[in-house]
Amino acid sequence: MTTTETPRLGTAKRGGRLAVPNGAYRGLLAAVAVIFVGLVLWFVISIIVQAKPAFSTLGFSWIVQKTWDPTHHKYGLLPFILGTIETTAIALVLAVPIGLGTALALAYLVPHRLRASLGTAVELLAAVPSVVYGLWGLIVLAPLCRDYLEPFLTSVFGWTGLFNGPNQGVGLLLAGIILFVMVLPTMVAISRDVLAVVPNEQVEGAMALGATRWQVLRKVVIPGARTGLLGGFTLATGRALGETVAVALVIGNTPFIAHSIKSPAATLPSLIVNNFGEATGTELSALFGAGLVLLVIGVAVNATARALVRSTARGGAASVAVA
Amino acid sequence: MRPSPGPNDPAVNIGLEITEVREPVDSDMTPQADTGPRTRTARLLAVGLVAAGALLAACSSSSTPATTTAPPGGTISPDNQAYLSADVKAPAGALTAAGSTFVQPFFTLAFHNYTGKNQGLQVNYSGVGSGTGITDFQAGTVNFAASDVPMSASDLAKVPAASGPVVQIPDILGGVSVSYNLPGVTTKLKLDATTLAGIFDGTIKTWDASQIKALNPGVTLPSNPIVPQVRADSSGTTYIFTDYLAKAAGSAWTLGTSKTIAWPSTAVQTPKNSGVAGSIKSTPYSIGYVELAYAIQNNFTYASIKNAAGNYVSPSLTTVAADADQKTSVSATDFSIVNAAGANSYPISGYSWAILLQKQTSETTGAGTVKVLDWTVHAGGGQDVAASLDYVSLPPAVQNQDRTALLTVTGPSGQVLLTK
Amino acid sequence: MTTLTFEAPADPILERRRQIQGVAQASLNRRKTYSKIAIGVCWAFLAVAIVPLVGVVAYVLIKGLPAWNADFFTQVTEPEGIPGGGVWNAIVGTAVIGAIATAAAVPIGLLCGLFLAESDGRIAGAIRFTADVMTGVPSITIGIFGYIAIVSHTKQFSGLAGAFAIGIIMLPVIMRAGETAIRGVPFHLNEAALALGARRATVARRVVVPAAMPGIITGVLLAVARGLGETAPLLLTIFGNQYLQWNPTKPMEALPLVIYNNSSQPYADLIQVAWGAALLLVVVVLALSIGSRVLAAVLQREKR
Repeated sequence: MTTTETPRLGTAKRGGRLAVPNGAYRGLLAAVAVIFVGLVLWFVISIIVQAKPAFSTLGFSWIVQKTWDPTHHKYGLLPFILGTIETTAIALVLAVPIGLGTALALAYLVPHRLRASLGTAVELLAAVPSVVYGLWGLIVLAPLCRDYLEPFLTSVFGWTGLFNGPNQGVGLLLAGIILFVMVLPTMVAISRDVLAVVPNEQVEGAMALGATRWQVLRKVVIPGARTGLLGGFTLATGRALGETVAVALVIGNTPFIAHSIKSPAATLPSLIVNNFGEATGTELSALFGAGLVLLVIGVAVNATARALVRSTARGGAASVAVA
Repeated sequence: MRPSPGPNDPAVNIGLEITEVREPVDSDMTPQADTGPRTRTARLLAVGLVAAGALLAACSSSSTPATTTAPPGGTISPDNQAYLSADVKAPAGALTAAGSTFVQPFFTLAFHNYTGKNQGLQVNYSGVGSGTGITDFQAGTVNFAASDVPMSASDLAKVPAASGPVVQIPDILGGVSVSYNLPGVTTKLKLDATTLAGIFDGTIKTWDASQIKALNPGVTLPSNPIVPQVRADSSGTTYIFTDYLAKAAGSAWTLGTSKTIAWPSTAVQTPKNSGVAGSIKSTPYSIGYVELAYAIQNNFTYASIKNAAGNYVSPSLTTVAADADQKTSVSATDFSIVNAAGANSYPISGYSWAILLQKQTSETTGAGTVKVLDWTVHAGGGQDVAASLDYVSLPPAVQNQDRTALLTVTGPSGQVLLTK
Repeated sequence: MTTLTFEAPADPILERRRQIQGVAQASLNRRKTYSKIAIGVCWAFLAVAIVPLVGVVAYVLIKGLPAWNADFFTQVTEPEGIPGGGVWNAIVGTAVIGAIATAAAVPIGLLCGLFLAESDGRIAGAIRFTADVMTGVPSITIGIFGYIAIVSHTKQFSGLAGAFAIGIIMLPVIMRAGETAIRGVPFHLNEAALALGARRATVARRVVVPAAMPGIITGVLLAVARGLGETAPLLLTIFGNQYLQWNPTKPMEALPLVIYNNSSQPYADLIQVAWGAALLLVVVVLALSIGSRVLAAVLQREKR
């Protein structure tokens, strides 16, 4: 079955002759799913085993403490947790509307001749290694950010108090922008595909009823592609949460809670990548703990996204698909 | 210095029952080995060969020049070439080694040249970071490791007991520059440890602060805030820099000596030397510490630093070497050479270390390991390419010390692996 | 749309019609304006998206092209200080590791995607959720896993350990993108095939997967692109190798490792090699992308 409206169509209608092959087919799929689950469990257990010493020596409170100072055996993760969430949030605030707009443009607005080549171009951009994004951010974007973007944002939005502090270029804002640029191709590539497969009959039907182009996109195409869009956004969020090298190069890596969007900060992955090579003992274990915390954040973010979509979902398809 | 006990280094090829006795290394130039006693077998053989060895030593010592007036840093032992030319005897095979990113370009070039002379032996070095190199070494996944700071007692405790003692030898020398990006200032700044401590702990906030002005009379300094640039990752470079601040600034430096420091919130942290270099380049009014090679290759302006003799010295291959020459004996527990005496010493300098097991698990790879390392740490071998890559070669005394240490390395059955 | 008007004497019915037409026209005008603005915003977003992406690619091109010459593609890495040399050893490593990882991850990922697309139960929901969380796991922790699972057991860094880690990174991307693509296939195709008496496996193989092929290709390419560009897992598993190595049970070099290691060196020519390798990686994915599209088109045509 490929969609969700009609449950168990195949199995219910045909017994006897076709039951065994269908069973074998489902068995194969289930076996492969078990392989995946097994891999993930193996992975999670490995990380837990590595992180265990940190929990047995430090308890649990270290996760939400504010000070990271391995020299004095303080391994507070709070600044990194906040940094991770903040950079991902900045990236998504930019990437969701811009990614969706771009995907709509690529799927429906750009002339036919250009669609395939632009689509390939977008996929290509997903291949640029993240270290390249990081270097580009540090060398090209950081000075632009410091000299133009930050002064501008400070003068316009300074009253909010979110833009206090010196204009340094590197920091939360730049890290969020780099993540936005990085996740954009992933998001656009997937969104474009799911937007494009909304059945033509529906699009034409809406047009025949006198809907404008935007109304077709807004009322027919986007709702029809809701599930797939969510998939694309989730992949993008995942990538933003877990990105290491590019963020480490542009975030400034200070282990303090940021007081402004321009402040240098640090994320859990940047903490791990910066310290893993030299860490030993409790510090190494604490880094694995940071990895676990990141897994938990991933679970929380995904669960929230799902709950949000479920509560706003209109049709059965979307709600079942995200269950 | 240790008195030479007759034939210093009996080299014995047990398999062929042929004994070959090396001429003794001049005792005046042989610093204390830090690597524990020889293996029992080697010592027994040494006793058995005393007579022959003493005879040969007597013959050869006449050709050995007296070195009572050794220059700072010592001279290279006279039989250097005999060992280096022995590299052709290294058994064929492939070695893996991992660790410090700092030594990677040097090691890669040195090993490449060694392979060129000795087609049979390939050494694959991976710059994964000193800590990972040590972890790999402890896990037994590499033949040897390299670290910017030698393995500590707690690191050594994690080497499986069955593996036996560990030999750590300096392999190359490096300096840490204090580089800055100060638009409009063309004069080279002078800085001392106390001022650097203030800049990097955040108490000196602007370029025209009185402390900086006092050291640089006549230089017009801007009033912009200072942006300190430091390493985000755990790093030997940070260790050497903070070691200098702790030793030279005393109580004025409160953040300690470590590979990771709890920097103030004003400091911008970037991973790797290259990251800090890139960040200095793209941030006006910033100052940071990077390995000398990065400062030279990036055409940075770097400060002259006040040394123990009170002179302001600019980092260069010569001044870093001058600093290292002041201390002719270093060991894994006494390795700091920062803030050394000497008028021309650049005070922020340090060694990088190669780490190997004293008792190798395989005679073949063991012989390859000691031979390629011996070749790499000596003039006439790997050290000759150091300057071309902006590394500083080891002082002769340290080269001799390395050989003494490598001669204690044995194969699984106790035979000395480094042969002439 | 143009309004129809009739030249006729005042007639209450016509009058009424005119009124309705007026209201409709106003509504249409409003909706058209609104649509124009919204469509304009989409175009603007496209422009906003293109600027930084073009910037990155132009940057890679400008920095990377000077490194390209015949030696770059045919010679193994030479150390700094020795002129010449290339990244042939890294190309071989990336190809071998990428091929192994793709060969393992694509079938498992697609079958998992099919499973998810055909199941709506709690278990499928949990697996879907797990896959989404796995896409957000920092690649370095997967590298650590590869080290724990493979390297520390075999006491040997190897291309296989790298392929294992890269495969795990690719797997959830393929699964979710595959599921998304398969769910996008109109259900009536599925129903028609089932109604003709086809078995489910046949429907999947002959109807659903071919129809979902463009989306599947996109997903696999995204996964391969991400897998080929990952550095951190390789750093902990494949070790790197200056020498040519085809054997995946031995330490290998790879392009991301060249990029990562060389870009953090002080020497200009090593940094240039890093950019050359970055450009090469982008071009490889471009070739894969175009190649698979052509292949899909050919397959599609043969079927008809």
